[in-house]
Amino acid sequence: MIDKSIKILVVDDFPTMRRIVRNLLKELEFHNVDEAEDGAAGIEKLRGGNFGFVVSDWNMPNMDGLTMLQTIRADPELKKLPVLMVTAEAKKENIVAAAQAGANGYVVKPFTAATLEEKLTKIFEKLAKEAA
Amino acid sequence: MSQNTAAAAVAEPANTTEELLGRIGQLTRQLREGLRELGLDKQVARAAQAIPDARDRLSYVAATTERAAHRALNAIDVAQPLQEALSTDAKGLSKRWDEWFKNPIELDHARELVLDTRGYLDGVPERASAINSQLMEILMAQDFQDLTGQVIKKMMEVVNDVETQLLQVLIDNSAPEKRHEAAQSLQNGPQVKPGNPDAVTDQAQVDDLLESLGF
Repeated sequence: MIDKSIKILVVDDFPTMRRIVRNLLKELEFHNVDEAEDGAAGIEKLRGGNFGFVVSDWNMPNMDGLTMLQTIRADPELKKLPVLMVTAEAKKENIVAAAQAGANGYVVKPFTAATLEEKLTKIFEKLAKEAA
Repeated sequence: MSQNTAAAAVAEPANTTEELLGRIGQLTRQLREGLRELGLDKQVARAAQAIPDARDRLSYVAATTERAAHRALNAIDVAQPLQEALSTDAKGLSKRWDEWFKNPIELDHARELVLDTRGYLDGVPERASAINSQLMEILMAQDFQDLTGQVIKKMMEVVNDVETQLLQVLIDNSAPEKRHEAAQSLQNGPQVKPGNPDAVTDQAQVDDLLESLGF
């Protein structure tokens, strides 16, 4: 069973996209959601922020999503944090690079609420299986 | 003249900065003369002029679309609680009616229920119209499509113009082996043109690719 009280960080440089993702998460009954406008701000919020999940864009100023993902995986405190990439980057080498960097899922924009729900569920199920 | 400067550079190595600046100046002059001879100088000037204009147009598109998205999301924020309240109130009344039908003797209870139901029904058109006005607001927010569409069309003309001119300059001046080398980057944004064999077109292809790699 998915813990809906889990704290989720949405990282995207476009405020509209953050709002859309936040609203979709609310629709899926995840109410504990925070936002960051780029990878650098994201890492800052994640450190000591007690987050259980990250939804991140790729192409952002200051620190892009891939660098943020690599920073998370290299950080002893954060390395196990599940990260779902939600991005307009649709090249195959992007998807491969994200997977190799340790992304737990990859969603291409534009996406539907159903896709987001499916990926979230899949990630949580996989994590639960690994933990068991 | 270039032979003279080269000879001078060899003879007086202490003067290299001055010599270098002189050569850069000479190359710039040559380039300008070359462009004029090719009839490209006016085109390059026009292209350079179009760039700040293009930047303005693009920031207009970005601002307009962001405003439209917020406008629609704001309307949804207002309409959703109204919609939810309508549904919750109806469910509440329905439940009370169900209970009364199971045990239909308490007339006082029924009278109160009838009054509440009537009150709810009286209020529905007004509440529905409040939701509808938010739907209209969402509808109106889509006007950005027309505005930005026009600007984007103009932008495409500018970009096309600049591309044709710059491409010609580049092709004329680049080494043959460099001509087919496209810029490689992991930050390309949305695929604006379909049919790129290096990109995926939908979520199913993302999933297939990841699965084939064992993720």
